[in-house]
Amino acid sequence: MMKLIRLIAWREYMENVRTKGFWITILIIPVMIVGMFFLQIVLSNATPTRYYLLIDQSGQYEEAVAVAIEREHQRRILQEFVDYLLEHRLESDFETTAANASDAASQFVDDVDADEVAALDQWLESGGLNYALAMASPYLESDRPDFEAPEPQFVAADLPTEVDANGSAEDIVNALRPYLNGSREISAGDERGSLFALILIPEDVNNDIMRPGSMPQPLDQNRGIQYWASNLTDSRLPDAITRSINAEIREREYIELGVNSSLVRDVQRTRLPVSQLDPTAAEGEESVSMADTFRQFAPIGFVYLMFISLMQNVQYLLSNTVEEKSNRIIEVLLASVTADELMMGKLVGIGMAGLTTIAAWLFSFYLFISLYSSNETELISQMLDVILGSELIPWFVFYYFAGYALYSGIFLAIGSLCNTLKEAQALMTPMIIIQVIPIAMMAFVVMDPNNTLVRVMSWIPLFTPYLMMNRAAADPPMIDLVGTTLLLVVSIATVLWLSGKVFRHGVLRSGQPPRLMEMLRLLRVKAPAGG
Amino acid sequence: MMDQPSVSPVLSLSHVSKRFGDFCAVDDISLSIPQGSIYGFLGPNGAGKTTTIRMILDIIKPDSGEVSILGEDSALKVRNRIGYLPEEKGLYKKMKVWAIIQYFAMLKGMDKQAAKDRAFELLEQYGLKEFAEAKVESLSKGMGQKVQVLSAVAHNPELVILDEPFSGLDPVNQSVLEELIHQLSDNGQTVVFSTHVMQHAERLCDHILLITRGQKIFDGTLAEARACIPRRVLLETADSVDSVGSLSGVTSITAVDGETESTQWQVEIAESLNPQEILKHCFNAQISLSRFEFVEPSLHDVFVHLVGDEAADKDKVEAA
Repeated sequence: MMKLIRLIAWREYMENVRTKGFWITILIIPVMIVGMFFLQIVLSNATPTRYYLLIDQSGQYEEAVAVAIEREHQRRILQEFVDYLLEHRLESDFETTAANASDAASQFVDDVDADEVAALDQWLESGGLNYALAMASPYLESDRPDFEAPEPQFVAADLPTEVDANGSAEDIVNALRPYLNGSREISAGDERGSLFALILIPEDVNNDIMRPGSMPQPLDQNRGIQYWASNLTDSRLPDAITRSINAEIREREYIELGVNSSLVRDVQRTRLPVSQLDPTAAEGEESVSMADTFRQFAPIGFVYLMFISLMQNVQYLLSNTVEEKSNRIIEVLLASVTADELMMGKLVGIGMAGLTTIAAWLFSFYLFISLYSSNETELISQMLDVILGSELIPWFVFYYFAGYALYSGIFLAIGSLCNTLKEAQALMTPMIIIQVIPIAMMAFVVMDPNNTLVRVMSWIPLFTPYLMMNRAAADPPMIDLVGTTLLLVVSIATVLWLSGKVFRHGVLRSGQPPRLMEMLRLLRVKAPAGG
Repeated sequence: MMDQPSVSPVLSLSHVSKRFGDFCAVDDISLSIPQGSIYGFLGPNGAGKTTTIRMILDIIKPDSGEVSILGEDSALKVRNRIGYLPEEKGLYKKMKVWAIIQYFAMLKGMDKQAAKDRAFELLEQYGLKEFAEAKVESLSKGMGQKVQVLSAVAHNPELVILDEPFSGLDPVNQSVLEELIHQLSDNGQTVVFSTHVMQHAERLCDHILLITRGQKIFDGTLAEARACIPRRVLLETADSVDSVGSLSGVTSITAVDGETESTQWQVEIAESLNPQEILKHCFNAQISLSRFEFVEPSLHDVFVHLVGDEAADKDKVEAA
């Protein structure tokens, strides 16, 4: 008996492994991960120099815009510098890196968010990059490469000679339109490139200043400062300009009202930190680290892996059963083995193929990390340590097998009732929709894992593997854990038993798939052959 | 039931019936198959041959009646000693030819290496050696069917059950298959096959079972089958044959085919009458014969005789 199950399982395994679909599934995940990883690096390094043109007819804000652009540049240097520090610091321990803004670098970023203008000014005043490098060097690896500050990304372009800077706004925009839409290149010193943005400040711009209490005026697209750019997604430049000019205007207002502006700034930068603590952690370890946060989100990845692997294998199981049925191999098989042996062999063989897929994913992931080590992969390998050290892996193994047993039982029964894949597809669709529901809820469940709706749905066995995996990191209540597990195990036993019955009847059936009533009858009658 | 041979039968059915809803697929069939025989299940499409075979193999359970196979009450208990080719043929498309024979032989309990050796041996023996490494999907339908027959017999089963093995084969491969069946029988293996083509049964079988609409019409040896219907002599003459009818031993005389110049007559004669007597009589009576033929009854004739012209016609028995 065992020998036959092994033989059938081995054949199913080998045949599955030889299909294109199997290799596509195996390759798609690592290719996606590696692809996304490199794409991100390439994209962040590939942003080209962006030429802008400032025409300030009011003559009041040129300085503010220049400052805005310099600050944006400093902000970028700062960001890269923080990355540089993270990459080359002597100790890099993911477990103790706080998730909230409590260490120096992120505190600084927080400060910048509160009052960027003042914070960046202070950064520059205190010596900027060179000072920071000097301060940080004792904590950095001795063999680190030098920090390379990025080149300025926003560069002022020269005004084309045919444009009259004092003309009407309409004329200027019309004259510059070919540059803005990329049909002509603009020059900036020796360089040439397309014009990224035109910042046009009309002469009477101060009339458009809005104050609290003033009546909202009908929106007019040409009010205030005009920012012309065909790129709508990169909002760094308009944001920086908005902040800088607003700071400038407010400064003037303070002076006009006789308020000490430096006092106001200091007040604005006053802050109280928030420490995130975890009540379920041991005493002394309550502070929430990045690892903790990651651990909370990790189940999403597992649920997704489970979904992809189950979908592939369970559907393979179905199409393979339909194939055997439609070309009547099933009859030869049933003259050699019992329906139960055949079913078990199939379940085991294709289950093993599923495991192979997941093992291949993990292996390629591991390979990637060990071959390509950098700041980012360092982070990934620390994440991997977090996953391996957590209770998520045993849960994943359990829920994967449970989900596989449950869904494969159902799909096997469906396959045994159908003679063609087309027929099977009609019966399969509701099962796929059912599986998509927990996938669609994935992000929501992670945010609110013990929500009443989620808790109730976890008790539905078809959802249990997905939802409980999804909740695994959030310490679900014991009653949910034990209850759903029991219910799941009982359901799996029932489904396998029932689908065994349907399978025995179904495999020899020909003609249309049975109607519902007929199916119920199939389940009621005593099992024939094999038993 | 027939007289039992001295050895216990390889397979016997007693009063086996199977209904599918209101349709009675097999109705009270009993039979006994002696060891080493070639046994044919004959009948038109839908007669119940496949259902009977499935019940023999315990793939479906009879509603009533009993099956005894190789001394057991269920084929599942002796499944390694049985080889089976189902009516509708199919193989795993992506597998190699030798591997599929090996796989089915292993399912029947052969060990891996022996099954592989046997697969190559069979493929060589039946002219498929050069296809051994090919995938099943690249084979023609007829070749695929040959491979499937080989995989059914690879484990040297004592009992081989072939459901419509000849359908879909060209005449050359049909005779290769006939040869294979003879070889199995020569080895002492028992072969049961079903067909709706009477010719194959006529050439191969020692014993036949005739069924139609689920009911057994005849079960016995070929000679016994032929004995079911009277012997016939076919005469063709323009003269009167009235005097032939008066010969003792002539049971009936009927015009078969009335042409303008001569008429064909079918003369049924009793066992006791030597056909030579009729020839002698015609000579004496100066009946000028353009044709005299003693007709050995074909299985088709037996079938028609047993079920009646109408039924046979309706069931579309293929005569050749």
